[in-house]
Amino acid sequence: MTTIAATAVDRRRPAGRSVTSATRPGFAWALPATVFFVLFAIVPLVLVAVLSVMSWDGIGSPQFSGTDNWVKLFHDPVMIKSLWLSVLLTVLGVVVQTPISILLGVWAAGHQRNRAVLSAVYFVPLLLSATAVSVLWRALLDPNFGVPSEASWLFGDGNLFGSQSGAVGVLAFVGAWQFTPFHTLIYQGAARAVPPVLYQAAQIDGAGTVRQFFHITLPQLRNTIVTSVILMVVGGLTTFDTVLILTQGGPGTDTTISAYYMYQKAFKGFDFGVASAIALVLVVVATVISLAVVRLSGYDRMRSTSEGL
Amino acid sequence: MKRQAQLSRVAAGSVAVLLGLALTACGSGSGSASGGGDKIHILVYGDASNKVETQIVDTFNKTSKVKAVLDTVPGADYQGKLQTVISTKQAPDVFFNWGGGSIAPFVKAGLLLPLDDMIQQDPALKSDFLPSVFNSAVIDGKAYGIPMRGTQPVMLFNNKKVLADAGVSEPKTWDELLSAVQALKAHGVTPIALGGGDQWPTLMWFEYLFDRVAGPGLFEKALGGDKSAWAGEDSKKALGMLKQLVDAGAFGTNFDSVKYTDGGSPALLARGKAGFELMGSWEYSTQQDASPDFAKSELGYSSFPTVTGGKGDPGALVGNTNNFYSVLKKTKHPEAVAEFLKLQYSDDFVKAQLAIGNLPTTTNTLDFVAAAANPDYSKFQFDLVKQASTFQLSWDQAYPQTASTPMHQAVQQFFNGQMDADAFIKAMQALPTS
Repeated sequence: MTTIAATAVDRRRPAGRSVTSATRPGFAWALPATVFFVLFAIVPLVLVAVLSVMSWDGIGSPQFSGTDNWVKLFHDPVMIKSLWLSVLLTVLGVVVQTPISILLGVWAAGHQRNRAVLSAVYFVPLLLSATAVSVLWRALLDPNFGVPSEASWLFGDGNLFGSQSGAVGVLAFVGAWQFTPFHTLIYQGAARAVPPVLYQAAQIDGAGTVRQFFHITLPQLRNTIVTSVILMVVGGLTTFDTVLILTQGGPGTDTTISAYYMYQKAFKGFDFGVASAIALVLVVVATVISLAVVRLSGYDRMRSTSEGL
Repeated sequence: MKRQAQLSRVAAGSVAVLLGLALTACGSGSGSASGGGDKIHILVYGDASNKVETQIVDTFNKTSKVKAVLDTVPGADYQGKLQTVISTKQAPDVFFNWGGGSIAPFVKAGLLLPLDDMIQQDPALKSDFLPSVFNSAVIDGKAYGIPMRGTQPVMLFNNKKVLADAGVSEPKTWDELLSAVQALKAHGVTPIALGGGDQWPTLMWFEYLFDRVAGPGLFEKALGGDKSAWAGEDSKKALGMLKQLVDAGAFGTNFDSVKYTDGGSPALLARGKAGFELMGSWEYSTQQDASPDFAKSELGYSSFPTVTGGKGDPGALVGNTNNFYSVLKKTKHPEAVAEFLKLQYSDDFVKAQLAIGNLPTTTNTLDFVAAAANPDYSKFQFDLVKQASTFQLSWDQAYPQTASTPMHQAVQQFFNGQMDADAFIKAMQALPTS
């Protein structure tokens, strides 16, 4: 009896609201993920925060050292430089990869067969591990036996890893080579989700390909761009493997980005306290930048791009 | 509503199961690692040499009541893993190390057993090893390690054919090296291959030149905490000579982009693009692996040139003296450990090491050297080590681990011109010494 009454009540509800409640399930759905997040992200984060006020070389028990690590870190020129380098590499990553992956993604969203084959080729770097990619480029860029020795008109003596600009350039290039396919994949999916009626309408109004791209595709990709940029920012700030293999932070400290500096402090210098402090700085910087991207792009308002359809 | 309630129950249930699983997994893990009462755990660096260690452990287990268990950790993870387990219940009884600074923090933390009592009961534990090697695991007058594996002195390797073509002979003195550099440059090859991207190969040039110019005293003083040693006349002279060598184009201009670890600088030497390479004795096995023909017929080797007027002994060596077994104080079976350590100077051990290309540092090594991969090379190396008045452990191993990164950076920056002598001295003075 009650069920029938409830259905009767439901029928009288405005249609829009019942749709909302159907697409927004209860909190229980998020519970498994939340538990894992707390176990593997929040708990370690708290432990790292505790360790950042300790002095610990891995032997015996950590000793409380107050703000020592933080004071050391704020007076450490390498730390400040490493943050700038992290931001520089991240910005370079976004600036280089975003336009390429949007263009490639939109292009690959077509359904012709040659595109499928070609996009499969473009996605190959995505299948390789970062380590394999780094080893590969390290060998290709060897000054005596790699590409530079054959093209000295372009590379000079091939000392790419011997100057800051060269080493940073290589890191940005290898990062782009490795991750552009991933972002292309996201954009391909998003571009395919753009309702075809929009293009049909534009065509009727006489808009060419370029206009369609700027007035339909790009605005429709807005949320995807934000997602992709956030992924690039987080990925860029935590870049590690390429630096470890390609430059080892050198020459000198010229490519010692924060994540690598943290590794050096923890597992080369066995100064886990300072390393934890660096980790926290990275968490804060990444969070602030991600939030800024979300805010500035209006992503937090979650306005659907399919509104009005 | 009802469906939601059900869902949350299911979710909560599955979480509880998962948590339970995780907890039991942890529980059983720590239980098994605490170790039985009649076993000793031997922790070693995991690589090709494990063949010999496995063999020695098998030999030991045949006669011993207390059984030895060999735990290997892949090389790259070894130091980190050791540091994390050494003060826990899971700590091994015996572990592999590099002597010097690599065990100093453990000694300071009171974790290691001084071996002097064992040596008193069995003097061969000390007297059967070459003294210059044995002494690099002596800290504050007490022995903390027994040599195992092979010695790794740094030598000046060369490509015989390149040298002959350029009319250069193996340099005996620093001045001969400088003129060899000029001749090789004129001949159109990079005079000296250097894997500057790895940084530690660059450090070898500092280690030798400082030792030749100032003698071992300077570094000992600096390591002991006397930072003024770095600013002395000898230090400045050595730095000036290094600068002169770099400026003369001895290493070419792209050494920062070349690595040893990926085979770059050894390939320069093997393919005749460079005349010399300063490298540890493992250069031979590296070349044998990558360019066997070159290793067999064209790879030459000599000791580091002497420096006229230098205070150092021309026979002194730098490098890694050897690897060592150290013992934890809390081992429950010190007698069994003592028996195990005795195997490190046995004939079987020496033969097995030579067979895989290592040069063990027992006094009787020469008796078996004919069975080595390259007897001439092994004999040359053995004589070098035997006659060396001092054997300076690589600076980055002698210093505490916190120093290695800034030391490597300073060394690289001095060579590529980002740092001048004064800045280098300051960087060395800033290194932690304890």
